[in-house]
Amino acid sequence: MGPAAKKDVDPSEAELCTHMQAYLDGRIEAFDALYAAFAGRLRGYLLSQCRDATLADDLLQETFMQIHRSRRTYQPGRPVTPWFYAIARHVYLMKRRSAGRRRRFEERLVADARSSDVSHDALETIADGDAVRRALRGVPADQRQALLMHHVEGWSFVEIAERLGIRVNAAKTRAFRGVKKMRERLK
Amino acid sequence: MSTPEDLRDRIKSDLRPTRPLRPPSVRALALIPLAVAIVLSVPGLRFFRSDMQAIGFLRAWGFSFGQALAGLVIVGVALRESIPGRGLSRGAAAATIAVGLAIPFALLAVTASAFDVGPRPGHAVEEGIGCFRVSAISALPALIAAAWLAARALPTRPALAGALYGLGCGLIADAGLRLFCEYTVPSHVVFGHGGGIVAAMLVGAVVAIAVARIQS
Repeated sequence: MGPAAKKDVDPSEAELCTHMQAYLDGRIEAFDALYAAFAGRLRGYLLSQCRDATLADDLLQETFMQIHRSRRTYQPGRPVTPWFYAIARHVYLMKRRSAGRRRRFEERLVADARSSDVSHDALETIADGDAVRRALRGVPADQRQALLMHHVEGWSFVEIAERLGIRVNAAKTRAFRGVKKMRERLK
Repeated sequence: MSTPEDLRDRIKSDLRPTRPLRPPSVRALALIPLAVAIVLSVPGLRFFRSDMQAIGFLRAWGFSFGQALAGLVIVGVALRESIPGRGLSRGAAAATIAVGLAIPFALLAVTASAFDVGPRPGHAVEEGIGCFRVSAISALPALIAAAWLAARALPTRPALAGALYGLGCGLIADAGLRLFCEYTVPSHVVFGHGGGIVAAMLVGAVVAIAVARIQS
């Protein structure tokens, strides 16, 4: 896929291909060049999708992390731009799905509280977030951290594991136990 | 725009030379030994259809290996779909699935002299389930291998990628099945053989979605 494919791409793409190849060879300067070339464009694209500047910035960082994790899927000689945009779109869609999961989780918490004969006043308290905060305080710190990172901040378990320096299964277990403890406390 | 320091540090700490994945078509070739084993083992472990001599070498072995090759091509398409930025258009995906599903019936049309050979009366359901089961089960080894190959990339539409490699693996399994089953009645072919291929597609889609969830 070398010279023949490169002949078809425009000069800027050819330059990006060179940076991408250098990045695959392990050169951080090449990553800097790619960041400089794509950050503005990708941020604009992400902003057009989510319409939230802060979220777009977060998604941009996550996109570059995903690009780094998936760099071996880039095929040398092929245009870099569609590959970057496809990953950005993937990151945006994953974030949207995790936001949906978070919303369902919060709805479940409220539904659980309702189903356990909590008084009307208590429901209002839950809506205010006090009861949830109290329940959260009763969850052990390590479980609370994993729970918040996954269900509130939307991190994947792989990312949580990387950040906390634990196994993916341990991250899942901590978040699951945290949710279970919260449910018990909210009943 | 310069790289933020924290992002740069995280990338730098994990940066080492990386060998890119081989092109999808090359990676699909890794399934050739498995495909050959499946085509040979389905009739080999049971028996060959009784009209092997009558239909001839080309229409028996030639068409079966041709169908298995088509299955491998579709697995290659699924692996391509799993590469970011190389996804199929809707039309191309629909055409691939339609062509894939049509292949066994097209081969039946040019192999069978009449479409009235079927199970003994009262055994249609039993024989249909038998072929469905053989087809679906014998597709599994190739499906697992294809799922692993696809998961090494980054399928951005896992359901589609899974359905495609499931279809490819279903075709490979059916290529063996057609050397074993000589029935030509449409009801048996559609439900027993086509059903097995569709089941492989569904299993592929479910597996791909599950793998994507685990990876995220």
